[in-house]
Amino acid sequence: MATVKTHIPKKFHDAVVKWRQTFLPDYDFLLDNWERYFPKDQRFETCAFRETGICDEIECGDRKGEPKFTRARDLDSEQAAHLLGAIRAQASTEFGSIQQHRLTLARAQDEKDQAWILRMMAEELRHGYQMLHLLLDDDWSSVTDVKSADMVEEILSMTTGSHVLGAFNIEFDSFVDNATFCAIIDRVGKYQLEMQRVSAYKPFAASMPPMLREEAFHLAAGIVPMRRWMEQAAQGSVYITTEDIQKALNKWLPRGLEMFGDERGGGTNVRYGLKPMKNAEAQGLYYDEVLKLVRDLNMRYLRARLPELKLKEAEQILDQIVDQRETVRGITFEELVHAPHKHFFRRRGVPSFEMTGWDGESFDDADSYLAHLSKQLPDAYRASSDFQDYAEKLRKVAGGEVTAADAAREMPTLRRVGGACPCSKSVRWVADNGASGNGGAS
Amino acid sequence: MSEDTAQLRIRPLQDTDLGDITGLDEKIDGKYRPEVWEMRLGYYMRRDPEASLVAEIDGRVVGFMLGEIRSGEFGLEQPTGWIEVMGVDPEMRGQAVGRRLAEAMLAYFRGRGATSVHTLVDRDMDGIAQFFIALGFEPAGLTPFVKELA
Repeated sequence: MATVKTHIPKKFHDAVVKWRQTFLPDYDFLLDNWERYFPKDQRFETCAFRETGICDEIECGDRKGEPKFTRARDLDSEQAAHLLGAIRAQASTEFGSIQQHRLTLARAQDEKDQAWILRMMAEELRHGYQMLHLLLDDDWSSVTDVKSADMVEEILSMTTGSHVLGAFNIEFDSFVDNATFCAIIDRVGKYQLEMQRVSAYKPFAASMPPMLREEAFHLAAGIVPMRRWMEQAAQGSVYITTEDIQKALNKWLPRGLEMFGDERGGGTNVRYGLKPMKNAEAQGLYYDEVLKLVRDLNMRYLRARLPELKLKEAEQILDQIVDQRETVRGITFEELVHAPHKHFFRRRGVPSFEMTGWDGESFDDADSYLAHLSKQLPDAYRASSDFQDYAEKLRKVAGGEVTAADAAREMPTLRRVGGACPCSKSVRWVADNGASGNGGAS
Repeated sequence: MSEDTAQLRIRPLQDTDLGDITGLDEKIDGKYRPEVWEMRLGYYMRRDPEASLVAEIDGRVVGFMLGEIRSGEFGLEQPTGWIEVMGVDPEMRGQAVGRRLAEAMLAYFRGRGATSVHTLVDRDMDGIAQFFIALGFEPAGLTPFVKELA
């Protein structure tokens, strides 16, 4: 195993640099201060890495055991279309997240947290660069009429609101979103990269290990500040409360769950050897991991509130508060944080527009449900066009004007991406495989 | 191999291991030090998270080993693996958890091109020294020096 470094042709490299100057203006600050924040770490570089020595044989699906593909034109046309969609969607998310993070980066209260997020943004740029490298390093003419150069231009011209996956079109309201996004949405990215690591298309599989190594740090860039905020909240800090963190979880976790795609889909990718797991299975593992993350946050809070506790006692008390919903030593269920129900605030996938409450309760009418959501979501997010779009669709679904499936398809992000733009193949990626009626990543 | 060890799974370190590793440290040393582990795990996760490993049984972390490959330090120009921190749940001692972690880490270092693996062991911790000797480690030519500043 080794890593090979490479670059895309100069004119495209220069386009990425130009994009970086627009959307990552603090890049120079990051490099100027690299030694201060990340002493001894290898300096960041805008380039693509590929792992050598990865498995040569297809690891799952109908052609398991056969040699992996090294050229797009050797794949079946539908298989290649799925793959191309995945690469474009991956590229879109990498660049999209930078556009989101930059909105609130300057609002961080802690300089180190800010530096970590800034490094993460630069690495996301590199991940996007990796995907552009895949598009430019092969001949995709057997799959699409769109030239590689046009695909690159289209990806670099996307802005918040036009990215392939919904979560990358939601604006950040505060630095709490920067950290929560890393902890919740980048975690989906980790699953996607992990699954794509076995891709039957070898260049794609070889691009994943270096990205995964960096992605692990991105998750830490979210979870470490969140843990510290929980501790500070327990000590009475007025800056970031557990309610703020809870509302951020409520805002992002539903979008994270949807990024796995329709719960009934994913079989095609498995059959084609592009991913080893169907959507529902990967989504389930992800949700369990979020539950662990949430328990960890609560433990940090509890230990700060009751520093005299030993580990075992703290674990027992946390179980009592969370599982039994008891108030123990003055700590209530409500002052801790919790993962909302899997069907809460969903607009894609099986439970889209289902009106399931935070705790799994059902609502009969849209107004009651929206009133419930308004209590569970951050104030600034409730004032956003994204929430407004959802609320309008929900009313139409509840009123019988459109079906939930149609409403899911009509959400603004999908409509824009799936229209005349050359990214239509990417919409195939976000639409479910085989189970009609819902959007979402697959 | 005991039944417990047979179920043992070695995997790369993840951010969600922070709480478990903090808990293991507390079990071993009796001290609750979340900030220390946030800093340490942050360091390893931003450098090479696949090099650092945890051992788990049924999703419960029972051991960890943190390390990385570096070159150019102490005159060691070749890529050199460093095992820097390890911990095993006291209830799981004697069940080869540490050995399994070390073997996996050595395999990773080898795969990434390291030509040797180094570690430092406190002279007072003979058990740890014996652990590494059993794995084939030998005393190195490097001698640690220290000067107290306080």
